[in-house]
Amino acid sequence: MEYKDYYEVLGLARDATQDDIKRAYRKLARKYHPDVSKHQDAEANFKEVGQAYEVLKDPEKRAAYDRLGAGWHGGEAFRPQPNWDEGFEFSGAGAPPDFDDYLASIFAAGRARPDGSLNAGRDHHAKLVVDLEDAYRGAQRVISLSVPVVDPQGHVRLQPRTLNVSIPKGIRAGQYIRLAGQGGAGHGDGAPGDLYLEIVFRDHPRFQVDDRDVTVDLPVAPWEAALGATVTTPTPDGEVAVTVPGNSPSGRRLRLKGKGIPGDPPGNLYVKLNIVLPPADSERSKAAYDTMRQSFDFDPRAHFYG
Amino acid sequence: MKESETACLQGQVIDERVELTFVELCRISGASEEELTLWVAEGALDPIGAYPREWRFSGAVLRRVAIAQRLSRDLMINPPGIALALDLLDEIGALRARTRAIPAAHRESGPPAGPA
Repeated sequence: MEYKDYYEVLGLARDATQDDIKRAYRKLARKYHPDVSKHQDAEANFKEVGQAYEVLKDPEKRAAYDRLGAGWHGGEAFRPQPNWDEGFEFSGAGAPPDFDDYLASIFAAGRARPDGSLNAGRDHHAKLVVDLEDAYRGAQRVISLSVPVVDPQGHVRLQPRTLNVSIPKGIRAGQYIRLAGQGGAGHGDGAPGDLYLEIVFRDHPRFQVDDRDVTVDLPVAPWEAALGATVTTPTPDGEVAVTVPGNSPSGRRLRLKGKGIPGDPPGNLYVKLNIVLPPADSERSKAAYDTMRQSFDFDPRAHFYG
Repeated sequence: MKESETACLQGQVIDERVELTFVELCRISGASEEELTLWVAEGALDPIGAYPREWRFSGAVLRRVAIAQRLSRDLMINPPGIALALDLLDEIGALRARTRAIPAAHRESGPPAGPA
């Protein structure tokens, strides 16, 4: 455990008032909330800010922390005195568990089941980042997560757990996979809760996904767009040949019906033409552009000014 | 290794083909019945059925409700604020999708530096 300067985390001086602390926390919590923020380290920052506030918002804990924290600086190894944090250790709601790279986050969203079985375990939530290709073919993923468990002494500990999960073909971002009985353990004879995995697609350098439709930007030469051509385009499921109709403007979207994410109905794949100009970097290519200039009575700005 | 660690788990996909009751949606999302009722009253969610006990929600709303629950818990946002935040998040999502759809070449301000 490293000593963390909670004042620094909240951007405050050590003599900040309780109001300052609350205000700083609220502001940073909004900024880094994982559901709102696109900040790369949003999750980690949000956790850190929450931990800092957990201690500093309570005058007694703050005083204990101030006593202990004198003489320590950020980054140094931190050996707390016995029981310094008793009663407010960063467990349960204060400290979400860790994840491997497939699991961006887990939120304990548990409540006792309202069906009368108060001993039932909590439902757990986690994010599962999958590749678009997985949605086309189906896949298996090994995920590991740390789950808070209460030991017989009543302490909360993080226990590592590995699961092998099947990603069904046709899965889409924003959907959930429910793994029955894989949530929090029940108490006594209570049934365990369920684990809900929220599907998120990893950003793909080539393909954009909108629900079940997929778009790919396909570079084409001016003569392919002008004269028509058959060209090869990548899809998440391998390459296919597409016919580019003659006189295609740049940005034209060609629809490959049913080639989006599989399902009932399947999505479409849109091939968006992106006309790329060859550079005029030789005598021959310059001459070709000059021939073009002379062959067309073409003013690209004819309608530019209305 | 324990068997539970090696067997491949087949889960149930929660999507628009799955219908969730009011009680189920509360349990899964962690939202209280009171919260969920208020979000429906704000128009943030659109269940089928006249009364809470009759309400049926599309499984596709689960993500929206889970976000609402976390925002409400973590940032103490009241129901009208939740409804507004969800609408704005939808809009931001659509705008981000559109930005990503713009070809990289059009996003750059100039041509890539080549050999002189």
